Formats: sequence, C-alpha cells, structure tokens
Amino acid sequence: MIYWGGNPAECHPRHFTKYSLMQKGKFTPNGRKDRTMVLVDIRETPSAKAADLFLQIRPGKDFEMLSALRAIVKGQRVNEETVAETGLTVAQLQDLAAQMKAARFGIIFFGMGLSMTRGKHMNSAQILMLAAEMNAFTKFVAMPMRGHGNVTGADVVMRYTTGYPFGVNLCRGYPRFNPGEFSTVDLLVRGDNDACLVLGADPGATMPQPAIDHLARIPTITLDPKVTHTSRLSRVHITTAVTGISAPGTAYRMDEIPLPLRPALKSPYPTDEEVVRRIRQAVARRPAWLPGRNGKAAI
Amino acid sequence: MAGKRYLMNAGRTTKQGQQINIGKDSPEYLAITTTIFMNVDDMKEAAITAGTNVRVRSDNGEAVFLCKEGKIPAGIIFVAYGPPTCKLMGNTTDGTGMPTSKGWEVEVDPIA
Repeated sequence: MIYWGGNPAECHPRHFTKYSLMQKGKFTPNGRKDRTMVLVDIRETPSAKAADLFLQIRPGKDFEMLSALRAIVKGQRVNEETVAETGLTVAQLQDLAAQMKAARFGIIFFGMGLSMTRGKHMNSAQILMLAAEMNAFTKFVAMPMRGHGNVTGADVVMRYTTGYPFGVNLCRGYPRFNPGEFSTVDLLVRGDNDACLVLGADPGATMPQPAIDHLARIPTITLDPKVTHTSRLSRVHITTAVTGISAPGTAYRMDEIPLPLRPALKSPYPTDEEVVRRIRQAVARRPAWLPGRNGKAAI
Repeated sequence: MAGKRYLMNAGRTTKQGQQINIGKDSPEYLAITTTIFMNVDDMKEAAITAGTNVRVRSDNGEAVFLCKEGKIPAGIIFVAYGPPTCKLMGNTTDGTGMPTSKGWEVEVDPIA
C-alpha cells in the first residue's frame, strides 16, 4: 500500500490499526508482516515510522513523479534529469514500480498533500490513471484520504441526489455542476451569493480571508453544536445536537460504507435535520418569488 | 515581496484535531494554530531565534506566528490550519473548487 501526500499517523489515527496496515485478512493472515507500506511525502511525518519505504519528494513535484512512474510502469523511457527534479532517482522509481507490480493487491491512499498543492485535480487524475493502468499487471485501487467529519457522506448524498459530488447549482431547478464557478470558496470570494446556510462546518476558520469577509457581510446562518469562528460572524447561530452522540444519523466511512449512528445521550437541542425541516416548512409557506409558480402574489 | 521566499505547507496534527472537538477558543488551539515550524538552517539564515515571534507575509496577507525549530526540509514551513493561515492562503481555486492550501510562497521576518 502506498500513502501519498497524507499523514494518517496524525490525521487518521485509527487507519493503520483498524483498517489498512495492521488488520489480518483472508489473504493476509499475518497482518502487518504480509504487507509493504510506502509513504510519499515532502517531509518526514510521524507516518514515516510505520513505512517500509519513505520517498521524500520536492514540494509541488507530485505530478512529475507520477508521470515518470506511469511511464516506467508501462516500460517507457524517462529522462533522468527530469526525474531528478522530483528529488528522487530513476532507480528509486523503478524499484517502486517493481514492488507495485509484485503486489497481489495494491492500494494507493492519497491525501490533501496531493490534491491541495500545485497541480491539484491533475495530480489526483494522475493517481487514478496510475491505479487504473496497474490493473494490467495486478489488482490495484486508489482511495482518497478525506478530511475530518463526514465529508464522504456529503459527497455520497450529493451524488445520489444530484449526480454530482460538490459544486452543484440548483438555481434553474435542475442540477448543474461546475467546480470553480459553483463551488463554495469561489462563490464566496467573488461575492456572488447574498445569504449562506452553514451546516456542520467552520469556513470562518478554514477558508481564504475574502471568503470569510463575505460571510460576515451577508446574512449567514450557522447550525453547529458548538460556537465556532463562523458563528461569530453569523447573524444567527442555532445550537444543534451532536450527531452520533446525542442525535441519530448516518456517517460514511472513507470507503463509502454507511454507518448508522445511535445516540448514547439525549440533547435539549434539536437535530440538524429537524432545524432544516422547520426552515423548509417556513419557507414553503411564503409566496413564491417567481410569477405563476404557486398562484399567489409574487414579489 | 522581495526577500527570500519559503513554501508554506499547512496541515493537520493530532493535537489540533483534539482541540477542534474541545473548542476553538481554548489557549491550546490558539497556540497550535499560531506556531510555525522551520528548518534550523533556514532560521539561522533569517536571524530568527527559536521561540520568538515572526511576521509571515504572502501575496494575500500577513499574520504573526511563534517560530519553532522542526524536522522540516530546507525552504519549507509547516503550520497547523487555523484562522491565521486563512489570511495567507490563495484566494483562487484555479477552477477546481479547491483553494491552494498547501505550498504557497511566503516571506518570514523576525519581529524585533
């Protein structure tokens, strides 16, 4: 298994022990001893201690290294000087390719060190192409290492309701998908939207400053169990119960397996679902703003 | 920006993840998100003493951090994501929906 641009020892602390590296399986009865783990990153993170092989590449050179690795896997020639720019040698990439081909079942876990750095989605595309091409030699898959919380769940539900995972515009009554145009950061930085409902997220502590400034300018409503940076710049903060602790719900694992959550405690606060349902009912009682939509007076 | 540039890499740490769930107003969270880690040689070159404050500037803004030595390759700075990094990160997503949250160029100056 290859971890690329991720640091599971710190960011997904149970991944090694409960999911990927240590677990014993039908074809890996000895657990860790039956597996080879490679870590690719720009710095020696705590995850490097768990790796059999640590490949330290130069920042922003993931795309180049992946291109060279794909070429080597397919038996094509690569330029030594170009490979050297990644901080590695052709021999190191050849060794990695040989180990990947020798695996009975390989997996690449790729993190935000790959997808949020120079190259972004092109880096992710290279990883997915590499995994696809490896299937000419052995079984190989790729899986993204997601952020905290239920990010995978948001993607899965958006996908089965609209056909797209994020950046979906429903203004015309049907879903349109265009990252960079309809995605949250872009809308906020450009100042396109004049209201915002924030559910279980804290953009006020994670997004670029112009996006945060826009959230403060417009009516922002935040639903969160705790007061966050976003709450402080919101017009309204509604405290909700904690899903999985004091509210039922479903969370999706990073491999998209849904996990039903049963609350252990009771909460005096409503669930996110209840608040959204009541807002929706209140909005539905108002006259439509499009002429002829419900026969009532339009604004 | 005219001085030496470093690549700033924001990331997650276990302690930061713990503090997110405890509360973002805690002094621990504040300390974690306002501390950067630099290569020892880079710090010497920039005349930065470990444990002192530095001003970090990018094309998008600036913020003050506590600077510590870390096992970091030369030319790279590591910092845990938080409100101060929001001021420095790129505003555009290059059409991907994802802001450049890692690997943006910054200058670092010691605060006298």
